[in-house]
Amino acid sequence: MLKLYDYELSGNCYKLRLLLSFLGVEYKSELIDFYPGNQHKSPEFRQINPLGQLPVIDDNGLVLRDAQAILVYLASKYDPSCKWYPRDNPEMLGQISQWLAFADGITGTASAARLHDALFYNHIDVEAARAGAHRLFRVLDEHLFFAEEAGQDWICPGDHPTIADIACFPYIMLSEEGGIPRIDYPAIRRWSDRFKRIPGFTVMSGVFPAGPAAKDSSKAVA
Amino acid sequence: MMSDLHSNWYPIASSSDLPKRHVYQAQLLGREFAVWRADDGHVNVWENRCLHRGVRLSIGINNGTELKCQYHGWRYANRTAGCTYIPAHPADAPARTICNNTYPAIESHGLVWSGEEASGDLLSLDGFDSATVLRAVPVFAPMNMVAEALLGYGWDDSCKGAANDDGSVTVTAGDGTAVRIFVQPMDSNHSVMRGLVNQAPAGAGRAELLQTHSWLMQELRDRVEVLAAKQEAPAPYEPVIAKVSEDLVDIPALGTDGRKAELRVQLVKKEMTAEGIVSLRLEPIKGQLPTFQPGAHIDVHLPNGLVRQYSITNGPGETDHYTIGVKREGDGRGGSAAVHDSLQEGDVLAISAPRNNFPLRRDAEHTVFIAGGIGVTPMIAMARALNAQGLSFEFHYFVQSDDHVAFKQQIGEFERALTIHKGLSPEATGAKLKEVLAEPGFARHVYICGPGPMLEATRGIAASQGWTDEAVHFEYFANTAEVDDSTAFEVDLARSALTLQVPAGKTILEVLREHGIDMPSSCEQGACGTCRCGVIEGEVIHQDVYLSNAEKAEGKSIMTCVSRAASDRLILDI
Repeated sequence: MLKLYDYELSGNCYKLRLLLSFLGVEYKSELIDFYPGNQHKSPEFRQINPLGQLPVIDDNGLVLRDAQAILVYLASKYDPSCKWYPRDNPEMLGQISQWLAFADGITGTASAARLHDALFYNHIDVEAARAGAHRLFRVLDEHLFFAEEAGQDWICPGDHPTIADIACFPYIMLSEEGGIPRIDYPAIRRWSDRFKRIPGFTVMSGVFPAGPAAKDSSKAVA
Repeated sequence: MMSDLHSNWYPIASSSDLPKRHVYQAQLLGREFAVWRADDGHVNVWENRCLHRGVRLSIGINNGTELKCQYHGWRYANRTAGCTYIPAHPADAPARTICNNTYPAIESHGLVWSGEEASGDLLSLDGFDSATVLRAVPVFAPMNMVAEALLGYGWDDSCKGAANDDGSVTVTAGDGTAVRIFVQPMDSNHSVMRGLVNQAPAGAGRAELLQTHSWLMQELRDRVEVLAAKQEAPAPYEPVIAKVSEDLVDIPALGTDGRKAELRVQLVKKEMTAEGIVSLRLEPIKGQLPTFQPGAHIDVHLPNGLVRQYSITNGPGETDHYTIGVKREGDGRGGSAAVHDSLQEGDVLAISAPRNNFPLRRDAEHTVFIAGGIGVTPMIAMARALNAQGLSFEFHYFVQSDDHVAFKQQIGEFERALTIHKGLSPEATGAKLKEVLAEPGFARHVYICGPGPMLEATRGIAASQGWTDEAVHFEYFANTAEVDDSTAFEVDLARSALTLQVPAGKTILEVLREHGIDMPSSCEQGACGTCRCGVIEGEVIHQDVYLSNAEKAEGKSIMTCVSRAASDRLILDI
């Protein structure tokens, strides 16, 4: 069975738990004591991932690291509908890759600020990390505002979310743990409501569920 | 100056920021708001904190009529912001004083306007009746600095900016196109630009208009933020947030109400089972529910503080849930309305353990059930029990029409014994009952539950047909008789060795409770039989509808919630 080297409080591991849950793929979590055990830096774990980072998967002997790379792999392999990662659609693949890189930027800023505030990573320049996260959130908020204007619910075009949404979601939702409020990003907040209503959505510590959508239309305005 | 700002109206959101089932987070002059639109369209602007533990309500759940806090599930009602439900205290109605702070709100020109102490009308927005609401752009800079910079805002060389009395800026181009931009002071160093354009193009024109101004305002934002970063940031506003009173923070004191609600169940399924009748499936939070006897009822403690009795309809051995049926009573006191309107799937409820004051004899050779309307519920459990044992019975169910037949699946289990009588007049019902009750006999029993007049009529017919009191079992929904509590008397408690005075205006039950005697009770109106107590000596004025005439004449029992002494003194077996 698919094995996920997993840590509950890791947003990057959460990305994979989300996709696996959306796809209904069974897997086994191998729990790594990231804090306080620092197990991801242990010699044993570095033999699995020399970078000493989570998450890692082991799918029948194929060992992969990097959340975004694993999202691409899992969606390509386990989503027969090809909606999460439409591999025959070059325009979509280009856009998804663009936003996967953007998600990496969110990890480098919003997640770094959270590691500083919540998990005692004292060497991080938290002010720079927060400022960087706000720069990215401003870009995404404007993008999502105009996506909504065009009748589009998700980061990439089409009526179905993609792994780009999954890659961006966790560290945006956890940003306040790093001192980054989302009050200035209403379009991001509406998108996150929609994301939480995707069938199969699961929560993690610090991410709350959404209530049911209105029966007529989630976007209806009286 | 400060108070001036607080009495102003400011736009705090676009209408499109409030889709249904969303909670918007806003801020004005340092104060945070949770802003949400109910399904009826009403826009609520509330203090952004739950009264319980101060968690932001903007991360809560808008379920269309209420806002629910994520932390411990407190729910607050649309419009009033009154707390409607506290899951940890499902037996207690939240005090009326538990009410969040609400702020004025006006929705106009595609914007939502509010202000801590705003009153009166908005300033007129002539020329913007058919407007496009621009994308709001937040800026880390003080309001005045933003307003000043906006005087230089423009999209071509003909643009001229002018300040308005309300602090907004209108920028007009040579062709008459005008943009009015309001500056919302979120905090002393944090503002939002909200613009209206006096044009409402559709399609590509709209997209282009929105994109142009989004771009231009962001460019302006970047310039202003550079300026603001050079000066010392003003001290943040310090809004005064009303403290929650001590008695709301504390765990509520034990109530004097002796009705026990020892079980916690979750409402897992709520569905209409017949016209005006809702079926509720209650499951234990963990483990199993206590075993019940057919005919038993439970007390359900409702979110509005009322306690109501409902019969269990389960078949024998089903202890993983209780299913009850509740009819909406148009002229009721709010119990059934609370069940129909307020309870939601997923709610935790406090209930009592099942109690059976309507016992079913299993030694009958034949049993006749006569149910009227919602009176069917206890009898469903009884009939299912007899059916499972293969005992002989017949089941007569009187209803107005096919739509009023409840629990079709459950009664389908004993279809061969079931006769449904639809839409009979009182006279026709009487004639039918005479037929049904034509054959009294040894070890034949009849059970009746239904509306008062039907019950009275049925008891009368049974008696006239020769059924003895002991063979006729009944359960009233309610005691509709006027209770006389004007007498005063003494009660001696034989086992407790206490003598108590029962004054006019108080019941025996209340006096017992005041003196620490634990007497179970349920309906507290003389219908259910829970507070029955043995009488050793003295004469009783029976005011209940629980005891049979024979039992009343015998005088060995009293319903302590309504009945009183005819003599000066009663000796009770308690």
